[in-house]
Amino acid sequence: MSKQNIIKLREKLMSAVFLVAALASILAVGLICFFLLVNGLPAMGEIGVFKFLLGREWSPTDIPPVFGILPMIVGSLYVTAGAIIIGVPIGVLTAVFLARVCPKRLYKLLKPGVDLMAGIPSVVYGFFAMAVIVPLTGSSMLTASILLGVMILPTIIGLAESALRAVPEQYYEGALALGAGHYRSVFFIVLPAAKSGILTAAVLGIGRAIGETMAVVMVAGNQARMPVSLLKGVRTMTANIVIEMGYAGELHRQALIATGVVLLLFILIINLSLSALKNRSKQ
Amino acid sequence: MKKIIAVLLAVCATVLTGCGGAGFDADRAISVVSREDGSGTRGAFIELFGIEYKGADGTRRDMTTKETITAMRTDIMLTNITGDRYAIGYVSLGSMNASVKAVAVDGVQATPETVKNGTYVVTRPFLIATKGAPSGVAADFIAFILSAEGQTIAADTYIAADDNAAPYTGGGTSGRIVIVGSSSVTPLMEKLREGYIAVNPSAVIEIQQSDSSSGMAAAINGTCDIGMSSRELKDGELAQLTPIRIALDGIVLAVNNANPIENLTREQVRAIFTGETVTWSDII
Amino acid sequence: MGETVKTKKKAFERVMQSATWAAAVITIGVLVLIVGFVLVRGVPHLKPSLFALRYTSDNVSLMPALISTVIMTAAALIIAVPLGVFAAIYLAEYARRGNRVVAVIRMTTETLSGIPSIVYGLFGGLFFVVALGWGYSVLAGAFTLSIMILPLVMRSSEEALNAVPDMYREGAFGLGAGKLRTVFRIVLPAAMRGILAGVILAVGRIVGETAALIYTAGTVAQVPSNPLQSARTLSVHMYSLSSEGLHTDEGYATAVVLLVLVVVINAVSARIAKRLGGGDK
Repeated sequence: MSKQNIIKLREKLMSAVFLVAALASILAVGLICFFLLVNGLPAMGEIGVFKFLLGREWSPTDIPPVFGILPMIVGSLYVTAGAIIIGVPIGVLTAVFLARVCPKRLYKLLKPGVDLMAGIPSVVYGFFAMAVIVPLTGSSMLTASILLGVMILPTIIGLAESALRAVPEQYYEGALALGAGHYRSVFFIVLPAAKSGILTAAVLGIGRAIGETMAVVMVAGNQARMPVSLLKGVRTMTANIVIEMGYAGELHRQALIATGVVLLLFILIINLSLSALKNRSKQ
Repeated sequence: MKKIIAVLLAVCATVLTGCGGAGFDADRAISVVSREDGSGTRGAFIELFGIEYKGADGTRRDMTTKETITAMRTDIMLTNITGDRYAIGYVSLGSMNASVKAVAVDGVQATPETVKNGTYVVTRPFLIATKGAPSGVAADFIAFILSAEGQTIAADTYIAADDNAAPYTGGGTSGRIVIVGSSSVTPLMEKLREGYIAVNPSAVIEIQQSDSSSGMAAAINGTCDIGMSSRELKDGELAQLTPIRIALDGIVLAVNNANPIENLTREQVRAIFTGETVTWSDII
Repeated sequence: MGETVKTKKKAFERVMQSATWAAAVITIGVLVLIVGFVLVRGVPHLKPSLFALRYTSDNVSLMPALISTVIMTAAALIIAVPLGVFAAIYLAEYARRGNRVVAVIRMTTETLSGIPSIVYGLFGGLFFVVALGWGYSVLAGAFTLSIMILPLVMRSSEEALNAVPDMYREGAFGLGAGKLRTVFRIVLPAAMRGILAGVILAVGRIVGETAALIYTAGTVAQVPSNPLQSARTLSVHMYSLSSEGLHTDEGYATAVVLLVLVVVINAVSARIAKRLGGGDK
């Protein structure tokens, strides 16, 4: 074989290797969906899809057991909504501050601070909330929402800030030239121009909040019944899995994996709306 | 800028004093805190207080009120009681500390003595379970646990299962075993392992802390050599496993330090945990 | 009339100014509160015995967990980095624009980055631990984590590769280098810093992870002697340590070490990324 041929062969071989590596993510998603579905769907079938999804009672260790995850679905949605209500305004305003208000010197201090927030492990957030927020608002939906609102802050701040920075400077200057004040220009011209980036940030925040586990389980109270009030506890889907997975028997375990399937479904919907958002902003 | 900070501080201060200053208001609802379903502590607790309903037809219902806060771990249980003056919960005698207040049951306080002489009735065994007869390191380690040396270690924090155990005579085995189960038993098991490794350094013992039910499941399906449980085994588990009692533990009923209550009857405890009794004034 | 408009304008400016400052103060206040809380509760309990080489129930040393964290991180990176970088090379250098496969790859990668860690934990437990029979092990944990960080590595590598000016490639081709040679000798070295910054962020994610590990790597507190043994990372250590309410103080001390680790990781990543930015300009 000539040297030329060896080089050609190597080129072909490596481009195949690169392709295979790129396909790994498809394989991973495929495997994850496959294993969760295979282990979770039979339980849904056995319990009955509607009974499982819309059932309001969850008593997995009773004989006979009852598996209804509506309380957990609603719980996850409530807590996530709470997190968004708390996290998005504070996050977006902080992003405005960082991108448009903050003096440069302060920025050098604040930016690493926000990065640090993103890096703090969720267990640490959990311990903090358990010791500091729970004595004020109890193990409750409110506590869980506040905690999650804080935990999604770095995600929202980071994305919203880069969206704000991507708005051309002329927008802001044009508004100033027309006589608008600094904040009026920022909030009525720059912020709307960064709308789709900020929306993306909020949607990613939803994804993070709905999937958070270890911190939420420490402060949410985890009552497996329909949420009753802001100051009473709730159980999220993630909490349901992590509390009971360890000791679950056959059908119970499958029901928990099925809870994971429902959670995954929510994440897929969130991702789809995210890519729809991106496509729209491209056009 | 300064104004904002001042306002924030004021808000923080009112929130803190608003929740912190007042005394104990008995008309407030009881916050019931319990452990998660699979926990051996909960299993033993609901059984001992008759919170579990057992039907003649084999049906079984955990009657714990759905309003209970589920604390997945002992420390979450403790912080919930410390942080909420209207809370009540339960922990292992070995985990009890001054951050919460112990309540007597039927007039008896939980102490190692009352647990040992049987006057305090809310007790449960620490068990290990194996599938079939153990061999090698597992058998030798169990012999150590049940020996005088092992039982002395158990008596340090808990109550020995056997006061007159014979001295340990085994040794010389090597290999690796895995022990899985109750997080309540784990601290004791770690101490036992250290005592055992000191006399038998060639053995490797891995301890996975989870909960009683997963420990029994792991012992049944063979993913571990020894399972740990902090409650009596259920019939299904007994059919496949041989339990061995290694120590005795009390379950302490705990309330917030601000709570004036000193004693509860078993019936009152049952009523609280099933949700029949809702406010503290119903009892005090 | 003009006066009222002016005051209204001023009032608006005032209100929005307060709002943005307040938000920033809250954000930083919360951060200071958390860090302060951990330091106050943890630092007094940082004792030399916490760093003993062996874990015992008396010293509850975090050293084995720290070592396991390093092992786990290294193992996950060994799997994810080549895979992620190669995938990025495919996307940035080989794939044609508008290719359908590329669209699918991008979508799945984004899906992966959105999947919560508890779902990774469930999957890892079902697949690596049970189906492949690896049991609770470093190997199962590392594979699970590597899937989790794959999108992060892919994205940052692709961005870094795209940032390499086309002149580099054209120059290399002009000198007669093949595509492969160009990629490995010219493009990849130029993109190295960007890739590294992404990898270090991935390390940060691994260090903070708990939910995906308790079902895959287990909670054994000793340094594993082979990849099929169970081990716990620092985060899992902190989580398990305090669970019986016996070693809460040591749990907070562990949290201090975790925070220091995160700060170091962030600083290193920022420094690398910064130099990268400086070099380009």
